[in-house]
Order: sequence, then C-alpha cells, then structure tokens
Amino acid sequence: MSLMTTTPVQPDAQPADDSLSIIQRIQQGLETTPEIHPALAQESSILEIERFCLWYTKAQAIFSLSMGIPRGKVTALIGPSGCGKSTLLRSVNRLNDLIDGVRIEGRMLLNGESIYDPAVDVIDLRKRMGMVFQRPNPFPMTIFENVIYPLRIDGERRRSVLVEACERALRGAALWDEAKDRLNESALGLSGGQQQRVCIARAIVAEPDVLLLDEPCSALDPIATLRIEELIHEISERYTVLIVTHNMQQASRVSDYTAFMYLGRLVECGPTVDIFQNPRLQETEDYVTGRFG
Amino acid sequence: MVWLLGAALVLNIVMIGALLGLIAVEGMRAFWPHPIEQVTLRTGERFLGVPVREEAFEVSAQRKRELLARVEAGEIAPETTASDGRPMRRLYRIGNRDLGQQPFRWVEIENLESAERPDEAVFVERIAWGVFLGVPEAVVLQTLAPAPLDAEGSPMLGAPAEGTVDEDGATIRLTRELRRIEVEAGVFEPFVVTRRYLAEGAAETMRLLRELIPEAAQRREHLRGLRRSKIGPINAAMTHLRERVTEAEIKLQRAEAGGARSTPAVVWFGALAAAGALVVGVGRASRRARKSGRRPTPLAQMLSHAGVVLAVGLVLFVWLERPVGGSMTPERYDHIVADAAARQAELEVEYDAVAAEIEEVREIDSQFRVIIRDPAADRFAPERQSTPDEPMRISQIVRTVQPNTLSAGDRLGLYLARWWEFIADDPREANTEGGVFPVIFGTVLLTILLTIVVVPLGVLAALYLREYARQGVVTSFIRIAVNNLAGVPSIVYGVFGLGFFCYTVGAYVDAGPSGATQLPVFQWWFLVGAGLAIVIAAGSVGILSTRKPGQVDSRGYKALRITSTCAWIAAFGIVAAMFVTTPYFHGFFEARLPDPTFGKRGLLWAALTLALLTLPVVIVSTEEAIAAVQPSLREASYGSGASKWQTIKRVVLPGAMPGILTGMILAMARGAGEVAPLMLVGALKWAPELPISLDAPFLHLDRSFMHLGFHIYDLGFQSPDSEAARPLVWASTLLLIAVILLLNLTAIMLRARVRRKMGSGHF
Repeated sequence: MSLMTTTPVQPDAQPADDSLSIIQRIQQGLETTPEIHPALAQESSILEIERFCLWYTKAQAIFSLSMGIPRGKVTALIGPSGCGKSTLLRSVNRLNDLIDGVRIEGRMLLNGESIYDPAVDVIDLRKRMGMVFQRPNPFPMTIFENVIYPLRIDGERRRSVLVEACERALRGAALWDEAKDRLNESALGLSGGQQQRVCIARAIVAEPDVLLLDEPCSALDPIATLRIEELIHEISERYTVLIVTHNMQQASRVSDYTAFMYLGRLVECGPTVDIFQNPRLQETEDYVTGRFG
Repeated sequence: MVWLLGAALVLNIVMIGALLGLIAVEGMRAFWPHPIEQVTLRTGERFLGVPVREEAFEVSAQRKRELLARVEAGEIAPETTASDGRPMRRLYRIGNRDLGQQPFRWVEIENLESAERPDEAVFVERIAWGVFLGVPEAVVLQTLAPAPLDAEGSPMLGAPAEGTVDEDGATIRLTRELRRIEVEAGVFEPFVVTRRYLAEGAAETMRLLRELIPEAAQRREHLRGLRRSKIGPINAAMTHLRERVTEAEIKLQRAEAGGARSTPAVVWFGALAAAGALVVGVGRASRRARKSGRRPTPLAQMLSHAGVVLAVGLVLFVWLERPVGGSMTPERYDHIVADAAARQAELEVEYDAVAAEIEEVREIDSQFRVIIRDPAADRFAPERQSTPDEPMRISQIVRTVQPNTLSAGDRLGLYLARWWEFIADDPREANTEGGVFPVIFGTVLLTILLTIVVVPLGVLAALYLREYARQGVVTSFIRIAVNNLAGVPSIVYGVFGLGFFCYTVGAYVDAGPSGATQLPVFQWWFLVGAGLAIVIAAGSVGILSTRKPGQVDSRGYKALRITSTCAWIAAFGIVAAMFVTTPYFHGFFEARLPDPTFGKRGLLWAALTLALLTLPVVIVSTEEAIAAVQPSLREASYGSGASKWQTIKRVVLPGAMPGILTGMILAMARGAGEVAPLMLVGALKWAPELPISLDAPFLHLDRSFMHLGFHIYDLGFQSPDSEAARPLVWASTLLLIAVILLLNLTAIMLRARVRRKMGSGHF
C-alpha cells in the first residue's frame, strides 16, 4: 500500500467520508471507532482505560484510547513503531511522570481505582506492577540483590524472607537452576537472556497485580527469546500480563488477547486467535500478515 | 600535520619530564655529605669550608683580557677562568655564625693558594646557631662550686689553677677558674669552675663524643618531653582554670544586670505542652497517612508542614528560655572561685616538682661539654654567642661528621639519616635546618579536612542541581557560575576566607553577635515569628504548586513556584538574621577574649576556604558522573517502586561513585598544592605545635599550621640564610610532590576498589 505517502488533510477541511478505511481516517486525523470484539467485554478487567489521551509537550501520542485489560490473561499490544504502545504501557505505572512536559487526559483505573488521582501514592502504585524493559537492565549488583531490590526498598530486612523470595522469583523466572550457585556474583556477568530473566524475577518478586513487558525479547537471540516466551506462558497463570511486541509470531504464541494500535489510536482489539486468523478489519489482517506497517 | 601534533606532545612531555627530573635530582642531592676543605688564600688567610658550587662571574672586558693573557702566559692555572676569560669563584659554606662570621663565603679561584682535606676537620650540626666547622680538641666535664672565701671575705680559687687528678686509673688534666655567675637577675656570685679534660686530641675527642652524643640526645629529649608532656598540660590546666573563673564572672555580671530569663512560668509550660502536642499530633497523622498508602490531601500536607515548623519554633523557645541552668548566683560564683584557687595551688606544687626535675637534668647536662676549635679564628664553639668562654654543651650537638674520612657506606648511611631527620623532625634555625615533620603533617591534615568538607558539600549540590532542580534558565546560570568559580584566582578565595571565615564567622563563634547587631529579646522573638510565618507560607505555596499527576505546569503553578522559592530565600535570610541578632548567644570562647580562638587564621578556616576553592571541581565532576548513570537503571529502579531518594541512594550514587571519587582526587590535588589563600588564612612559617594532641578536643582546628607549599616559598624567599635553605627548597618541593602523589594514589586505589565492587568498569 502506498497510503503512507498520502498527504494528511486537515480534518475540518473535509467532511467525514465513510468510504475511507480506518487507517486513512487515522492518518487524516479523523475520529475513529475501534473494533472491539465482544469476547473482551465478557472478561472482567483489572485495568480499565477510558478515553486516555497523552501529549509529549505539544505532540499528541495517544488519542482517546479506551479498552479493558482482562484480569489473569496475557494481552499483547501490537502495531508499527511509534504507534504509542510503549507510551501506553509506561502510562500504566506512571513512568511517564519522569519525563517533563507529559500531559494526560482521560482515566486509567486499576481495580476500579484511578491511577492518576492526586491522592494515589505513585510509589505504592508501581509496587503493584512489575515492569520489564526492552534491554536487560540489571543493576550492577549481585544477582541476589538484583532480584530482591523491590523488597529491599520496601524495607524488608529479614534475611530468611529475602532468601525465600529470591528463590521463588528465580524459579518463577526459570533461572533458579542456572543461578542458584552464583547468587553472589554480579548480574552483569550473565548472558543477555539470563540478565533479562533476572529482570523478570525482579519484576515478579513482590507479587505484583500486573506485569508490564515492554518488548522483552527485542534485544535477545532466538533461543533466549524462546525461553522468555515459555516463561511468559507459565507466568500468565498467576499474573495479568500486558506485553508490547513487534513480533507477530510472539504475540500469537504468548497472548490471549491482542490489541492493534496505529498512530496513537486503537484499531482492533480481541482474542488473539480472532485477531490473527479472523480479524474484522482488512487493515489488521494486512498488518499481522506483514503486508503493511 | 601529524608531525606538528606529535612535536607538541613531545614538547609537553619533555617539559614535564624536565620539571620532575630537575626537582628529583636537586631534591635527592640535598643531603649528600660533602668534604671539608682547609682553604689557604694567597693573602695567607686560612679557613675551613665546605665547597658548595663554582661559577664564573662577570667582570670588565679589560680584566677578562688580562686574565686570559695571564692564563696563556702560564702565570695562573687554566681553571682560574672560564673559557671566555671570566674569573671563576667558589662558594664555601663556612658556618660558625656564632663566631660572628657570615656562614657562606665566595672565594675567587685566583686568590686560592691551596685547598686540602684534613682528616680531623669536623662538621657539627647543632640545635642552634647553624653548623660549626672546626677541629675537635677536647671533651670537658665542667662542674661548678661556690667559691670559698678568704679571710677578707673575697672569693678565692682554693687550689692551683691547673693540675691533674687520677680517676679510674687514668690521669686527667684539670683547670680551675674563678668566675662570677648570675644566679638571679642582676645578682652575681663567685663560683669556681672546674674543667676535667676527659679526652684530648682530635681522635680521642671524636671517640668519646660518639659515646656521649647519644646520651646527651637522650637528656635533651627527656627535657623536651618534660616540657611538652608535663609543663604543657599544667599550663593548659591553669589557663583553663582562669577561663572558668572569667566565665563565671561574666555570667554573674550578666545575671546581675537582669539578663535572667523572664518568661512567666505559665507561658513557658504552655509552650512546652504545645510543642509536645504538635509533635505527637503530626507524628500520628503522618503515620496514619503512610499506612493508608495514599497521599495526604494538600490541606493535610500544609497542616502537617505548619505543625512541624511551629513545633520547631516552640522547641527553640522552650530551650532558649529554659528556667534552669546557665544562670549564675553569687554563691555559685564564690564556690567556683574557691575551687579554682585550690586547684591552682595543687597545680603550682606539681609545677614546682617538674621544674625541679628539669633543673636537675639541666645541671647534669651542662657538665658535659666539648671544645671544637675554629682554627682560623682560634676560638671554640661557645655555648651561647654571649658567653664565648663557655664551650658548647654536648647536648647542643645533633651530629658530628668528619666528612673527609667517610667511606661510601658511611656516606650513604648519613645521607639516609639526614633524610629521615628531614622527614621526622621539627624545623630549626628559621626552618633552614632540621626537618619538616609538622609541615608534612599540616599539609596532609589540611588536605584530608578539605576533602571531608568539600566532597559531601559538592555531591549534595550536584545531586540537587541534577536530580531535583527543574532544568531551565536558572540551573544553566548556576552551572555557568559554578564553572566560572573554578577560574577565580585563588588569592581571592584567601581574601574572602580571611574576611568572612576568620574575622566574621570566627569572631561570631568566639564572642557571639556583636553588641551593635543584637536585638532585645522581645524584638528577636518577633523576628523568629516572622521567620516561622514565612517558612510556613513558603512550604504551603510549594505544596500548592506541586504538579498534579499527568498535568503540565500552567502559568499559575509557575507563579506559585517562583513565589515559594522567593519565600524560601527570604526565610534563609531571616534565619541568618536570627543568628546575627540573637541576644541568647555569647560565643563559645567568651572567657578567652580578647584573645581570639577561632576569630583568627587557623586550620578550620583554611580547610573551609580551600573547600570553597575546590567545590566547583567536585560539583562538575559529580554532575557529569550522575548524568552518565544509565537512564535504563533509573527506570528499572523507579519501575520497581523505588522513591526518588531510594533510587539516588541505591542506583545513582553507587553508579556515580567513581566519578565522584575522580572529583575528589582532582580537588585534593588542587587543594594540596594551593599556597596563595593559605598565606592569608592560616599557614604560618613557624608552628611546630601540631594541630592534634592528646587532650580534648584532640583535633585543634583553631590552631595555625605549617604547609609544604608555603614552606617552600618561605624557605626560598623569606629565609634569613637563603644559601643554607637552598637545598631544603628542593627537598621540600620533592616532598610536596611525593605527598600529593601519595594522597592521589590512595584515592585512585580507593576508586579502583569501588569500580571492582561495582562489578564492571563501564561506569
């Protein structure tokens, strides 16, 4: 498709035209209605996003996005680069607060409680969410200290509790067998895949409500990727997982639900099987089959 | 192009190498023993001297031609002139300053008849009066006895003036002499001075001296120890007693003048109760807020802020107006005076005992004397310049060397011994002799102190600037200002340190605010109230201006924030004003006035001045190190639910630590080598009393100190005997470089350790 070269037209200048595809409408800055599958509505949401907008200083990155993240399921966010997936993910635990000039509108509710309420203690909020980033970012400390970092800052001092939590988290991150003898070695001495699993262990050690994964495999080789994917699969039995990915196969392999985003807007959202095999929109099919994006 | 760049690099390396090489060579050479020459001039004059160096000097062209002609004619030796006909001259160190001669002497080679190296010539290093060159003659045991009186009541010798005595199987020559000796000021009494010649002749004298010098040195050290560890503390205790009495007197006067606390009991207890209630209430509220896991509303935050501030104010009031303690009654005053008098009497008894012991040792010490004769003047080295007939005491000798007889091994041993003396001893003779131990100590201590001050200060400032402050025009401006501070000439810091630290802050520490700025109690509390109000307002506005999550600052928020900042600055001003005008503080060292304690140049102010001087270095390098901590690590920390301070403490600071230590190393190197400000704020040419001691407070920050950098300047340009000081200048320079190198090496090793601990070198 050569749509990317189409000159954006001022929305006011042209009346709404039903003949335009949803992608064209988005590119022209027109209002769109996302295609949300009814299966999603039957799930109970742990995280409710309502008409959420976000600006970096002047530039708007997310446009009035609404969707629910089902409890206890893996939801994948897919879409081309710059579509706002990572921004959305980082808005969930308010990591965007660290960036100057970020402004939001709309609401996000975690278990019915507004995340952006001034009365919310953001530290407390982040403690209820684990996050894993694109690149493995273990601290320059021992593996043990890395994994129990969230407990340390929470003031946990009891050695037995820390040791037990560390083992549980490392088992959860499928790293226990490899790391149990080198807990007191620097985490920087591990391979990239192992480092990323340390980061996953760190993210789950405090038993969070939601696990946020921001392209966790993009810096890893295929074998490490495979391990992490298996891991996500196992973890999903206990946690709600929200994962951003560029990799369609990965999304189809690990997730229960998939949301397709484009230029800051939600395009289609539904069970992964439907999105990949039977999408409602032609554009979604084009994207997941690699013909677009 | 590459040749040009390479040449520039080579030039730099050569210059640095030349600098270090020259200092190393000259410094290492300083203590090498040189021979003594018996110089005979064409005029027939003879003297002993140590050749120091030779040089050609400028004369008229005619004289040069004349000299060259004479050399060609074979009248004078070729080494008399340089190749261009300039005459050569040689510098001799001839010492013997107490015999009234200049200790150095130029001799033109032309006038030199002969220069031999007699074996018996001895080079004597002494406690005072510099070196003495001479020939050892005799060791004398000199005793004093009151002269017997003849029938008419006039003193007499009572025995022949010369004789011999048999002691231990040896026959010893002795002489007797009648002399009037001053026993008290202005009172002379006749004594018989008996001298037993324990050894005579150069070889015998030297042999006996080798035994007696260590003994004498022990006595000297014993006396020094008595003065330092016995007399010193007694004097200090007496001073302390006097201070206590003075202090009590001042307090009594103040109490009688009606300066007693005047708050009604009801008000005071009310304040106490209010303070307690506030502390408890705010504590409970904040605990409850923490448990709920939700942020308190702005109103609650403002209330708790106001509560804390008010509680601080009330506690201040309760403390300053405390009804007990601090006030002086006539009864207590009398008690203190009586107590002090009793203690004083005890101390005087102690003092007399020590003084008697000192006198005893001195008496023994003054018996052992040595006659070393300067053959040119035909006079021996006297005990004092004013007593030319008394041979010097053996304890006045540090070391005797007969350099013309030394073997290579002896020379090396002597060389090392002199180095050790240089490093470990106190300076003598206006610093031109002896060691530089207090100087090294002062330098190292100052550097450590300045590091202790500057690193926390710089790191905190950098942390605020980089982590907390909103990056904008103001922070850029501050950064530029900090960078420019690094370029301010260091003497400017010296002037500031002297004017602000020594004479303003120091005077305040000593005596409290001056009477002119002091406010009456009521007005001062009014000021305090205004200060509290402004702090409450500043905090409240600050809380109101806190950005709501996910929102950007509107213009209104910005205005609030600027208002809050201005209010904080005003609050700072008021706090400063509170200090300057307080009627409650009268200085920590009031009793010592008018002698200043901290209100003068001293170690603390020097350390603070240098800390100020090196602050930019630390701030800049810390900021860079903080900025270089990977953002992904910060995100990981925040994502784990860490607060800002936890992230700084656990991730940012450890990551920045090598950079911070680099800043510390730079600051130390800069501070240790700085001289100009020290000349103004505390380094002295002569302060052998170390700034540490065994009596409280152990570290005497008010004392002056010596510093290697200043020492070099002093030796080189302020010394009464610049020729004698010359080798010491080089040696001190070498030491300064060594000390800085050592301090830096320590810090670099520390940094390496930290890096290793961090698990990787990529920071």
